[in-house]
Parts: sequence; structure tokens; C-alpha cells
Amino acid sequence: MQVSNNQALTQLNTQTSRKVSDSLLLPQVATATIELIINKALALNNNKLVSFSAINQKTLTLKLAELTFPLSFTVNSTASATGFIVRTHVESSDCTINTSINTLKKLKDNQSLTLLIKQDELDVNGDIKLAQQFANIAQSLAIDWQSELARHLGDVPTHQLLQFGNKITKSMSAAGKKIGADIGEYLVHEKRLVVTTSQIASFNQQTKDIANKVDTLSARIDMLFSNIAEKSAKS
Amino acid sequence: MSSTDQNSQASDLSTSPKMPADADTSVDNTAESKDTTHFGYKTIEKDDKISMVAGVFHSVAKQYDVMNDLMSFGIHRLWKRFTIDASGVRPGNKVLDLAGGTGDLTAKFSQLVGREGKVILADINSSMLNVGRDKLRDKGLVQNIEYVQANAEYLPFEENTFDIVTIAFGLRNVTDKDKALRSIYSVLKPGGRLLVLEFSKPEHELLNKAYDFYSFNILPKMGELVAKDGESYQYLAESIRMHPDQETLKAMMEKAGFEQTTFKNLTGGVVALHKGYKF
Repeated sequence: MQVSNNQALTQLNTQTSRKVSDSLLLPQVATATIELIINKALALNNNKLVSFSAINQKTLTLKLAELTFPLSFTVNSTASATGFIVRTHVESSDCTINTSINTLKKLKDNQSLTLLIKQDELDVNGDIKLAQQFANIAQSLAIDWQSELARHLGDVPTHQLLQFGNKITKSMSAAGKKIGADIGEYLVHEKRLVVTTSQIASFNQQTKDIANKVDTLSARIDMLFSNIAEKSAKS
Repeated sequence: MSSTDQNSQASDLSTSPKMPADADTSVDNTAESKDTTHFGYKTIEKDDKISMVAGVFHSVAKQYDVMNDLMSFGIHRLWKRFTIDASGVRPGNKVLDLAGGTGDLTAKFSQLVGREGKVILADINSSMLNVGRDKLRDKGLVQNIEYVQANAEYLPFEENTFDIVTIAFGLRNVTDKDKALRSIYSVLKPGGRLLVLEFSKPEHELLNKAYDFYSFNILPKMGELVAKDGESYQYLAESIRMHPDQETLKAMMEKAGFEQTTFKNLTGGVVALHKGYKF
């Protein structure tokens, strides 16, 4: 009964969040942003060997567990330009992938595709090659960020900015390694010596027991002293 | 339209009544009859509406996109994106973007229907059509788009021609909306769908009041500052209030023959997307 109530509550929460997200047009905000980023990246691509002809007018739909709406990517390639159109809803898709963001990262590796499907991390409907072609294109894009930044900032500021960026990256990497090593040391050596919660609770209980016994003993001693005092007064 | 016509239009507009912020904005359709119709809050001869609306759009055409972004804070792009998502457009489809103006929907449809498909950008107003054509050509969108100057009431296309017809922020300017809906129904293929994106009635009273204040106090001033034409934006606010609400428009679509008619309120009902099918 409680399980079915929880399920109904979860369903209600999902419906409410979907309604709010639809009302605020959040899916459209998301697709507009993603579309802008992808098309900007395509415009900056220096690898002219990337070919879109095989996937022109094809649609790949991603249904991510983390999102309440699907993301559909359609390629439009003409002689003058190539662009992606991102939508939240299409009635027919050449390939639909049900997965999560974490699994999507693994999708780049062609070898793990079958494994991911076997592990139920990935559910593919339609042309599986299309998904691989999209992933291959994403990997083959080459963007020269340094030249692009230099165009807007100038050569010297870009050089300094990148040097600063490299320093920060190195510092963060070193800090990350140090934290990792500290955590490792803590787990291997210190964790064994650390008092657990149950041990503290047991210690507290024992201390309370001793305190109670001391109180009882103290009361008995007081009583004995009073008895002795009474007897010596009578004698 | 000649400059003389535009001047006479400006003179007509200057007589349109100003709407106070606390005025009753409920739609009064009683003034609409066989020979008369609305032009904002004015009741005019039906024959005059086309030229009067044309005057408004000739006047605002060049600043139309800038004003749309300013007036809606850019949200009109999301409303149009929602319409594209709901259209179910596929490669090879034939799409009519009616009252397509500066071609926002046409640009996206053109990319989605591909080389085998076709998009017709139709508008009754030549100035809007010219601005739209220039904009789309600048974007390199030329291969599958045609431009047609057409009145929505008398569409110059054969029956059963289009898979999808859209009319975004255009239906309220049409003189005889029922006739336009019947005309659209006729040119749609069986299985085709109509999408009407239009200003509508906000769902909540507080939003309605804020929206009224914005429409009648701020919007015409923005029009005056940016497009140097406050009167046209006064008309815009009035025409929105005179447009049928969600349920009325749905009933009108059903009367014209559309089936499985639904609507979806966007931004609290400030705008609604109506969808109907021809079977």
C-alpha cells in the first residue's frame, strides 16, 4: 500500500515538474541553447574533411533519464552551410536512444556499444549506425580555441590567458592528486583507528551505567554513615 | 501601398481610442456584423480592414523583428520553437507559412523539409514579404522557399496541397476569420494539420492585469521610441483583446471542419497554440 502511494506521489511530482517546465518553455530554452552551441562549434570547426552528407536530413533522438523531454537532432547540410536543428519532439526519428548522460559518455567508444546494450544501459531503436556516425562527427571536430580567442582578445592577452589557464589546471591537478592521496591514506590507515558511532554509543552507555552505580554506592555509604551516627548517639 | 495611403492610414489610426489601464478589456463581438468588423476597438466596414491592417504592417515592417524581440523579451522565439516542435514536420513535407511575415517559421521549416520539401511564405503585406525574403536570402535559405502575396481568405492554391499550414500572430488581423479557416482547410491535404499561434487570454487574473498594464501603457511607448509608431502598437494591443479566446477559436476551427482540435496555453495563456487536423 505504502509502495503504491510512493509510486503515485512520484508520478504526481513528475507530472507537476513537467507541467511547470512546459509552462516556462524550459525544453525550448534548452534546445535553443544546445542548438546555438552545436552550430557555433560547427562554424569554428577546422577539420574540413568532416562529411555530413551521410546523415543529411537524418534525425537522432536522445531520451535521457535525467530529462523530462527528448532531444532530437536533425542535420541540414547544403552547399553553403551545415547546421543542426534541435527539437524537443519529433513524430518520427531515424534512431532513438534511451539512456543516461553517464552512459552517453561511454558511447564514444564503439567497442562498448554492444556491452552497454547487454547491460541495459542503452536502448537503441532504429539505425544504430546513425548514432555512431553522429558520435564520430562529434569526435572529429577540430576547433582551434587559441586562434579563435586571439581574434577577439588579441595575441598577447590570449597567450597570457592560456598560460594562466594552464597554471590553474596544473594547480588543480596537483591539488586533486594531493586530496586523492590524503583520502587514500585516510581510508587505508586512519579509518581503522577512528571510533565508530556505535562504539561511541556503547561508551556513553557504559559511562552512564558506571555513573548510576557510583550514585547508588554513594547513597548506600550515606545511609551507612547515618546509621553509624544514630547508633553512636544511642550508645 | 503608396505614401498617400500610409498617411491616410496614420490619420485613421490617430482616431483609435486609447485604452486606460483599468478599463474593461473583455471582448465585445457584438459590434461585428455582416458588413462591419473590428479594427482594434473600432468598428469599421469590412472592406476597409485590409487596407487599414496593411497600413500598420507597411509602417512597422522594417522594425518588426527588433520590436518583436523587445516587446516579448525574446520569448516569441520560444513560442515559435514550440510551434515547430508541435508541427511534426518531416523531410519532403509541403508547408504553408501563412502571414509568415519576416519568415522566422519559414527559416526553420525550410531546413527541416529538405530539398524534396517545399515551404511557401505567404503574406498579404508586400513590405513584410520583402523584409522576410531579404532576411531568408541573407541566411542562404533559397532552394526550397517560394514567396506568395496572398489573402488568407482566398488562398491561391489547389485543394489538398499542404501537409502543414501555420499562421503565427496573423489570424487576428484577418477580416473574416471563419472564411480564412475554411480556405486553409481546403488547401490542406487529408491528414494535414493547421497550427495557429496567436495571442490569447491569460489564465490568471493577476497576470491578465499586469499584461493589460504592459500592453496599453508600455507597449505603445516602446513602439513610439523604437519604430516611431506608437499608434500601430496601440492597435496591436487592442487587436489582441478583440481576438477570440482559446475556447472560441477552438470552436471556430471545428466549425471550419478541423478535427481533433486542441490548444496549449503558453506563458500563462498570453499566447496559445491551436492545432487541428483535416481527415
